Amino acid sequence: MVVGMEEKYLICEDSLEGVFTGIYEAYAMKGDHGHMHIQIGEEENFRLFAVYIKVTPDDVKAAKVAATINRRLGAEVYLDLCRALAAEDGEKGEAVYKTVVRGLRMKEGSRVMGALADDFVHKVFELSRRTRNEVHHWKEFLRFQELENGILYSKIGPRNNVVTFLAPHFSDRLPLFDFMIYDEKRGIFVVHPKKREWYLVTDKDFDEREIGRYAEKEMEYQELFTFFCHKIAIKERKNLKLQRNMLPLRFQEYMVEFGQ
Amino acid sequence: MYYKAAEKMGIKEKLGILTDAAKYDVACTSSGVDRRGDGTGMGNTEAGGICHSFSADGRCISLLKILFTNECIYDCKYCINRKSNDVPRASFTPDEVCELTMGFYKRNYIEGLFLSSGILYHPDFTMELIFQTIYKLRREYRFQGYIHVKAIPGADPMLIQKTGFLADRMSVNLELPTAESLRRLAPNKHRKNILAPMRQIQNGILENKNELVLYKKAPYFVPAGQSTQMIVGATPENDYQLMMVAESLYQKFGLKRVFYSAFVNVNEDKELPALPGGPPLLREHRLYQADWLLRYYGFQASELLSEERPNFNVLLDPKADWALRHLELFPVEVNRADYQQLLRVPGVGVKSAQRIIRARRNGSLRFEDLKKIGVVLKRALYFITCSGKMMYHTKIEEDYITRNLLSVKEKLPFDKDGVTYRQLSLFDDVNFQMQQDG
Repeated sequence: MVVGMEEKYLICEDSLEGVFTGIYEAYAMKGDHGHMHIQIGEEENFRLFAVYIKVTPDDVKAAKVAATINRRLGAEVYLDLCRALAAEDGEKGEAVYKTVVRGLRMKEGSRVMGALADDFVHKVFELSRRTRNEVHHWKEFLRFQELENGILYSKIGPRNNVVTFLAPHFSDRLPLFDFMIYDEKRGIFVVHPKKREWYLVTDKDFDEREIGRYAEKEMEYQELFTFFCHKIAIKERKNLKLQRNMLPLRFQEYMVEFGQ
Repeated sequence: MYYKAAEKMGIKEKLGILTDAAKYDVACTSSGVDRRGDGTGMGNTEAGGICHSFSADGRCISLLKILFTNECIYDCKYCINRKSNDVPRASFTPDEVCELTMGFYKRNYIEGLFLSSGILYHPDFTMELIFQTIYKLRREYRFQGYIHVKAIPGADPMLIQKTGFLADRMSVNLELPTAESLRRLAPNKHRKNILAPMRQIQNGILENKNELVLYKKAPYFVPAGQSTQMIVGATPENDYQLMMVAESLYQKFGLKRVFYSAFVNVNEDKELPALPGGPPLLREHRLYQADWLLRYYGFQASELLSEERPNFNVLLDPKADWALRHLELFPVEVNRADYQQLLRVPGVGVKSAQRIIRARRNGSLRFEDLKKIGVVLKRALYFITCSGKMMYHTKIEEDYITRNLLSVKEKLPFDKDGVTYRQLSLFDDVNFQMQQDG
């Protein structure tokens, strides 16, 4: 072991900004990336002979890192890294950091996600896929309920932080509607006022109990759709196991046709 | 224009009858076209399609799949809506269809509308109603989500043409694989009447592509392509005949999808087979697997089956079955084989083959890397080498590999005897059981 090569741990906030700031600081230290690590949240088991540095999120530094990634590794890799950071996983910060390092060393950085034999790249690939799959599932299974004041309201309980990926999808589909998507696990709301851009608020700024009563027509539509789901099934092909494989129970609790 | 739609019947009752009548149509995909909303209405489409729920038979619910009417002047023997059946009849009005589509879509229940119909009075009359409905939905209700409609065989080509400029996908059901079977079971339908609109739509799509090259703003004609379906197991055709028909539909009619529908016997008719084991689901499953091989894996139907071997292996999927009959081509070297060769390895899919090609640019791959990439090693290991070595010391011998492949249980969407899964467990959702009245 080379003297003076102690392991450095950069402790970052669990956000895109937090981890990107961490990557900025890691490069600023000009050390050997092999001995620097990014860790998200608080460390519980401190190691001996390791240095812990707390990183405060900084939007200017984070924006510089984002711009470098976009320029050198391309928009697609950038999106994969964002998705990986939206996943619920303790080691995502390190995986993203080391994937960026590897990509910036490559002649064609945009190919970095192809290097699946690399454990860090593979980790980013897995996490990105996990988020993407869940985003897709909520595009499928999320339900809006119409409130008396005309707002479409949806509550979801995602495993990963998916609402920012859902917001553009629904804003494009429902441009003339006021709608809200509430992530009850993280306490975040997407708010889309009709004909305007969407934005995020947290439950500190907004109380879910302020959600008003359902529109008169709402129950009628729920009943019609539930009835439709019954009628479309072919009884000679009944296959509840397949139904559950395709539509896991954790989604069903948010879906009107399963009686919530 | 009078038809019985207006008669006093609640919307729920109509929805029940006209969904029940539409459920045997298999296609419920919403794929094939990527379109952003223009900000003036509601809806968009995604190329990969989106499922929104799954019914108790495990099939995806993507579209509001309904008939416009289940009145019908035809008497097809396999069809629940045949003229001679005494079933409750109903018809929607165009506005009712539009209201339901909009109400369901904004709640994110569906990706769009699948509108089919029985033949009311005359094919032209029926096609006109379908056209009116989706015209209203697109132009008055400003719906920009997915629309799949049937082209009614025998209808005026002008009506089909007009409809094609509003729909994303159109389909004409082939119903049965041969003209002979069609004559026997669907005496009012004729093969040439079915193929004519199919050809018309194919030509329409081709012309439209040329127009779009010239004028970017030209309206789209059936942008998500054309599909069809065949009923499997109502007539005596073998798998080889079915696959040859499917292949020629892809090659000669440019179809996007051919769907296979395991025959469900809903009518007592002496012309129809009794199916004590239920619908032939395993056979349907094998046909879909083979169909996939035709569309994405570069296989020809004649490689999979022949006059001498006209049916698929019950125990093995068509790709494994093919590989076992062509062991002289294996093992292939993962670090050198081209894409087409990789695709033919059991346990390697389209995605994993693409990933292998990308990943090996960064250095040669080992078996543990293949696992990360998503290759199913317990199936692939008999057919590949990594840097010249096989994973284990295995014999390349048909009986030996067959035995080993069979010991890895194939994942089927139903029990292995082809009968659907009937047992209820504690975890079944009681709110979503099939209603007894079906």
